[in-house]
Amino acid sequence: MDNGILDIYLPIAGIHFNILILLAIGFSVGVLGGFFGVGGAWVVTPALNIFGFNMAYAIGTDLAHIFGKSIVATRKHGKMGNVDVKLGLYSIVGSVLGVEGGARTVMWLTARGIAGPVVRYAYMFLLFGLGIYMFYDYFTKDKRRARHEALEMEGGPAVPAKKKWDLPPMVTFPVSGVTVSLWTVLGVFFFTGWLSGFLGVGGGFIRMPALIYLLGCPTAIAVGTDLFSVVFTGAYGCFTYALKARVEIIAAIVMLVGASIGAQLGVTAVKYIHGYGIRLLFAIMIVLAGCSVTLKQFNLTTAAAYCVMGAALAMCLIIIVLMIRGFNKEKALKAQAAR
Amino acid sequence: MRRWKILCASAVALLMQLVPRLVLAGGEGLDTPEALERKVPLEGLSGINLFFARAYNENLWLYAIYCTVLMAVVGVVIAFGTDIILKAMGMEVEKIEHKE
Repeated sequence: MDNGILDIYLPIAGIHFNILILLAIGFSVGVLGGFFGVGGAWVVTPALNIFGFNMAYAIGTDLAHIFGKSIVATRKHGKMGNVDVKLGLYSIVGSVLGVEGGARTVMWLTARGIAGPVVRYAYMFLLFGLGIYMFYDYFTKDKRRARHEALEMEGGPAVPAKKKWDLPPMVTFPVSGVTVSLWTVLGVFFFTGWLSGFLGVGGGFIRMPALIYLLGCPTAIAVGTDLFSVVFTGAYGCFTYALKARVEIIAAIVMLVGASIGAQLGVTAVKYIHGYGIRLLFAIMIVLAGCSVTLKQFNLTTAAAYCVMGAALAMCLIIIVLMIRGFNKEKALKAQAAR
Repeated sequence: MRRWKILCASAVALLMQLVPRLVLAGGEGLDTPEALERKVPLEGLSGINLFFARAYNENLWLYAIYCTVLMAVVGVVIAFGTDIILKAMGMEVEKIEHKE
């Protein structure tokens, strides 16, 4: 096989891989994660799989990179002070069991030779579902705003009743100020942990809303506890997949370096880019990621590769261009004010 | 709203029709039970690649510990390293505040 000068040999996965592609995957995920506040790891597993990793390696390597990235994110967000430690300890139990369950499901499917297609279908369901929901959210925002304003005029917005499952034993979390069923707590963390182990994602996009809406945690504590949980989920995911011989450590490190550079840009961009329109771009990105997984499933690997990397890099380019424009606009306004 | 529901239900129904055929068509056939017992050939490897490949072949527990510890160390180095670089460039790293 003729390998380019930028190709590196990854002995654990047993493939040659272009280091620029690895850096680009990490960079895109870093920009998206830093800008939108979600991990963006749902791009990594499909992208690695499209570019030649077997599915179990793609998930294991993604989880290893998530672990490293979660440490960087925890440091950057400085949110550890907002952790409900008691809830965090429950999260470790539930998440570790869930990740192990997810990893075993993948290995079971791997042993039958169907891990790739099954995980890809799960990704299609997740990405298209999320994308459709975000499109719906975007195109109905005016209607919702009008409804909200009408309710406010009538004497305050109606707060939907929080659903409660009071199945004993009940557990109290003084820092969050909530008392909930132990089964709800363990169920939330087990499910998100399983999702992490099965898809190689951080799971924050489900865990965060679940902590807020199902457990009733305040947002700041939900953010801190979610980060705390991702660190342990990632650590255990990295460990258990490595133990199952499914982590390509060199690839994980290269992606982590790319993600860290991208995350700095993403976080900085938040200061300069405002408006609801950016959500539409995010929805498009999610749908294109779903399309790339579909193309891979149909063995249209080259098209899938162009689709996933084109979408991720185009999204990064848009964010960077908007950031530079926002920065220049702010500079011009400051100069005008100084005159 | 009703249009969206019909559209989503139709899309899911269509996807369900395609699932069994596509799962069989998309099988990789590479990650087989035999591949789970795979050993990495050490010929031609050197440096860090040889180190990891040897740990991978000889003791997976050790390999798993190396991977987990190394990712933690690299994460910490990057987190603190970028802070130092950004501060040297005059960009103070701000904490993001969440409002209820």
